[in-house]
Amino acid sequence: MFIFKNALVSITRNKGRNILIALIIMVIAAACAVTLAIRESAEKIIGSYEEQNKIEATISLDRNNLMSEFKDGEKSPEEMINSFNNIESVSEDEIKTYGESEYLSGYYYTYDLSVNAKDIQEATDSLVKETTTTETESTTKTEKFGNFSGDMGMPPMGGGSSGSSGSRTTIDRKTTTKKTEKIFNEKAESGAFTLTGYNSYDDMKDFVNGNYTITSGEVSGDFDSDTCVISEELATLNNLEVGSKITIVDPKDESKTYELEITGIYKENTDSSSDMGKMFTNSANKIITNANFVKKVLAGNSNLKATLTPTFIVKDSESVEKFSEEVKEKGLSTRYEVTSNVEEIKNATESVKNVRVFATTFLIITLVIGGVVLIVINMINIRERRYEIGVLRTIGMKKSKVAAQFIIELLIVCIGSLSLGAVAGSFASVPVANSLLESEIKNANSKYENISNNFGGGPSMSPMGENNNPGNAPSFGVARVNKVDNINAVVDLKVLAELLGIGLFLTFIGSLVSMISISRFSPLTILKERS
Amino acid sequence: MIKETVLSLKDVNYRYKDAKKDEYVLRDINYGFKKGKTYAIKGRSGSGKTTLLSLISGLEKNYEGEIRYKNRSLKRMDLDNYRSKNIGIVFQSYNLLPHLTALENIVLSMDVSKVKVKDKKKLASKLVEEVGLDSSMNNRRILKLSGGEQQRIAIARSLSYNPEIILADEPTGNLDRETENEIMKIFNTLAHEQDKCIIIVTHSQNVCDSVDEVYELKKRK
Repeated sequence: MFIFKNALVSITRNKGRNILIALIIMVIAAACAVTLAIRESAEKIIGSYEEQNKIEATISLDRNNLMSEFKDGEKSPEEMINSFNNIESVSEDEIKTYGESEYLSGYYYTYDLSVNAKDIQEATDSLVKETTTTETESTTKTEKFGNFSGDMGMPPMGGGSSGSSGSRTTIDRKTTTKKTEKIFNEKAESGAFTLTGYNSYDDMKDFVNGNYTITSGEVSGDFDSDTCVISEELATLNNLEVGSKITIVDPKDESKTYELEITGIYKENTDSSSDMGKMFTNSANKIITNANFVKKVLAGNSNLKATLTPTFIVKDSESVEKFSEEVKEKGLSTRYEVTSNVEEIKNATESVKNVRVFATTFLIITLVIGGVVLIVINMINIRERRYEIGVLRTIGMKKSKVAAQFIIELLIVCIGSLSLGAVAGSFASVPVANSLLESEIKNANSKYENISNNFGGGPSMSPMGENNNPGNAPSFGVARVNKVDNINAVVDLKVLAELLGIGLFLTFIGSLVSMISISRFSPLTILKERS
Repeated sequence: MIKETVLSLKDVNYRYKDAKKDEYVLRDINYGFKKGKTYAIKGRSGSGKTTLLSLISGLEKNYEGEIRYKNRSLKRMDLDNYRSKNIGIVFQSYNLLPHLTALENIVLSMDVSKVKVKDKKKLASKLVEEVGLDSSMNNRRILKLSGGEQQRIAIARSLSYNPEIILADEPTGNLDRETENEIMKIFNTLAHEQDKCIIIVTHSQNVCDSVDEVYELKKRK
């Protein structure tokens, strides 16, 4: 107890020395608080971002592989398209097989079926319609023959000959209706609307992520019911509201119709239209229903083909490649490949990660410099207090107690200045963090602008703008990601705990010097020198 | 009445670590120190007076022979404990802590010695009065006191835990004759009235004249 009391007295009676030490520790603490707060906040942002934007993978056609099949030019366009049409879609059973993987935390799949609808105007800004052209081909033929006169060149009626010579002109009028044989991609949409079927609320990621929000009514929780939600645009165009019924028409057999009740109207929050000239969003003609309803429509006509879009939620970025290999081993056709949003997620947090790396580097440098400065100050301090050590040892105070007193003094000064440093750091951390991030974003934008300029484009290729963000660009089948452009660095309890740890570490380093010095000092030598 | 020997030195030899094999500072020292008496150890500069004091005080332990405190060898004792409880040391340069007041210096010494007294400040104040200072000195910082006053505080500090032996290294070296006499009076009072053993290292004849016994150290050739 007296050691603590003595330490306190020593601190208050040697203000100049302790204020100097406190100031140095305060600067170190403030710098550490800023870097720790930035680091911690960046970690949280990245963590929460990765939590919100899960790594998702899907199965899509391997276009490079397909193109290599067609490269040799041996196949005609018809053959190419027919060959493409013959590629078997990934079945529901296959998706379920692939979904049973240790690399996944879950999976879901949606049905997309192209359909028509009775008495509903699709949301389209195009009025171009296919027409069948009819051409008339005319040929004029002149024949010479004998004993022909008069008749003003009219062909002979009947086939008889008048017995005189002359010439005859025949005009053949042949009307040909050109038949347009459309060789179309069967997988492409053939109806005006897309019927999208989900199995559960969890699968409806566009609603979960906030890309779509219901503005009226609700999404029915009964995934066996004949209900749907439609876009605001479609509802406005056709005066539809919650409770209205729409009739779905089989695009390949118009006699087959199905009725759906509208339970909700949704709005798309992100502009998925990449074409500025388009009047409607990409989801305008999307009718969202449950998977069972889509299956019912499919069951009604075996010629109908729905697109199954699986989404696999991958545990971590390292598992993507492993999952891809596993799926191939399980028999996925070489014409398909596993694609994921892992790169987009990495890119979206790249700036924050750079800031985190900078903060960590700065923290290490601060700690090293701080530690060295503290050791030097402590060595000077100990040398200055050799006499005091000598006196204390002479009156019988044990080395350990002298060292303990010095450590307590340093600890008190350290904790006091750490607190002040933490307060200063908490004020400085937010502007410093955002300034660093801004600088990172500028660097990234500048990089992309340069690339854009190389292509003759303007700053529209910049990755960080709100609308020109490639992270915001629609990605097909996998989750869309948004860039992180703000850090709210906060000196929270964890940062304070880390700061305390750093303080204790620095105190320990400084104390080590004290302990070594004290153990080496002979009180007699010190007092002799003094004398 | 036969006085008890509290400290004895038997065949004590000492040489510095870096000295040659036979270059001893102290050679064949055989002294005995009794309670209730004042002793002076005199000698010329370099004769080993202060070295002898550091051996007796347990500040130096690499010696040959034996030093016994109440029949216990110092070599087998906890020397920090010995210094904080059994002996008091008074130096020529006082060796008080300048950032503390007179009273705080004395109380600190009591704390180190784990003196079990309810009011340490009161006892310290009483000790200050015993060494001839008035209570106005109590709360003065050490550097605000004169040399004589500082030496009295140093003596008061050495008495604070009631040791049986008080070692003093040139305690009057920096003081005038009048103050020297006053300090010696205090030492004699402590020895004769409080049964302390006072050992003073000095080259002052005045000090030697006022003690009970004198040992002389001769510089070895």
